[in-house]
Amino acid sequence: MASPANLLYSKEHEWLKMDGDVATVGITDYAQSSLGDIVYVELPKVGAKFDQFGNVGVVESVKAVSDLFTPIGGEVTEVNKAIDADPSLVNREPFSGGWLFKLKVSDRSQESPLLSATDYDKLTA
Amino acid sequence: MATVNLRRTPLFDSHTALRARMVGFGGFEMPVQYAGVLREHDAVRRRAGLFDLSHMAQFVLRGAEIGEWADRLTVNDVASMRPWQARYNLFCSESGGTHDDVIFYRQDEDEWLLVVNASNARKMWGILQAHRRAGIEIENHHGSHALIAIQGPRSVATVERLVAPADRESIIAMRYYFCARTIVAGIPVLMARTGYTGEDGFELFVPNDDAVALWDALLEAGVSHGIEPCGLGARDVLRLEAGMPLYGHELEEDISPLQAGLGWAVKFGKPSFEGKVALEAQRVADDYARIVGFTLEGRAPQPRMGYRVFSRDRDVGEVRSGAVGIGTALIDPSVSKIGSQVEIEIRDRRWPATVVKLPFYKRAK
Repeated sequence: MASPANLLYSKEHEWLKMDGDVATVGITDYAQSSLGDIVYVELPKVGAKFDQFGNVGVVESVKAVSDLFTPIGGEVTEVNKAIDADPSLVNREPFSGGWLFKLKVSDRSQESPLLSATDYDKLTA
Repeated sequence: MATVNLRRTPLFDSHTALRARMVGFGGFEMPVQYAGVLREHDAVRRRAGLFDLSHMAQFVLRGAEIGEWADRLTVNDVASMRPWQARYNLFCSESGGTHDDVIFYRQDEDEWLLVVNASNARKMWGILQAHRRAGIEIENHHGSHALIAIQGPRSVATVERLVAPADRESIIAMRYYFCARTIVAGIPVLMARTGYTGEDGFELFVPNDDAVALWDALLEAGVSHGIEPCGLGARDVLRLEAGMPLYGHELEEDISPLQAGLGWAVKFGKPSFEGKVALEAQRVADDYARIVGFTLEGRAPQPRMGYRVFSRDRDVGEVRSGAVGIGTALIDPSVSKIGSQVEIEIRDRRWPATVVKLPFYKRAK
């Protein structure tokens, strides 16, 4: 699956979609495919504040536990409750229904080190 | 990691063609998954799955006294096995810990196949060599002979048409933990009704040169039955659900068969065997840490090897295996009763768990 062009990407395989000063964050198709069947996601708490690239939670597949990082700093405003009930949503719809959390972003200049879809796909090719 | 020289089974190219994800296991580069662990698990429970287990070590034992000889080295009965019977067994140390868990296949009066875990192959070869005496011949087939397993309710239907017509009836009628020499897809095989999934099925032993043709024939015959190639990931979940121990998890050099709940395989009536004195003392004292099954309530992270187990604020043991919502733990006997409430510490939180009877899964007969 090619990565959607309207998103930004981190080298840690998270994606980011900006809407005003709110960022929606998820993991990429490459990430979910590498992890395999996702069985549990530990999401951050609403209201928690994180620096860019901070460790915000955990994604667990059958075989491994992987840290989840935020590609941009800010305050968590919402988490995807559907993931709690059905973590495999992240495998099936990594770029849409499987989004993980939203952040209110304080410093949009933090977008600059992130990758475009083209550059991210080159990284994971 | 990159400097480790991993061996390949004769099916390596078949796995990569099926887009398997390969990992190092027991010194071999093995498929951990193809389409996905959960999908492969589901195929074995409902239809059929095909496994490459060629990393496991096959040792051929020949001699008129193999039975008596092996009876002194292992905890279960060997000499009493009939030709074409298979039996689970364990090699223990003098202190009662487990060197390995194995299966003996008696092929006729004087020839036996011994299958040991890949991770213990070198150690087990050394143990057998150290005890070798006149009249005991041991041949190492590790790496030269392949093992392919077909497991799941559609296994019989899949192999049926491939078995030589003259043997068809007897192979279908073959009982659990028996074996036979036959021809499958034109290939001479040793075929056993054994497995590590909790389902009906067969394990087929062939020289490396025949492995690809046998694998291809089984995969093709299984298409109409919904067969899937399955990796070690699915195999681990299947065996855990079926309550079967995995060496390095439920068994170790310092975990005895009694601790692992395998007392049924320890024959104290035998005059003497390696570890007997220690195991008898352990049985009498009955105060040893033991392997139990547990379930986690509701949505919880997956329990994994090494997580600590607590009873109130007392550390009572550790998780040894885990899958979604279930696991095994080696815990203090005071909390090992069925129904005991314990807590599993996962990262910075403790999750309530209940000790339950093993296995987690038993197929309807």
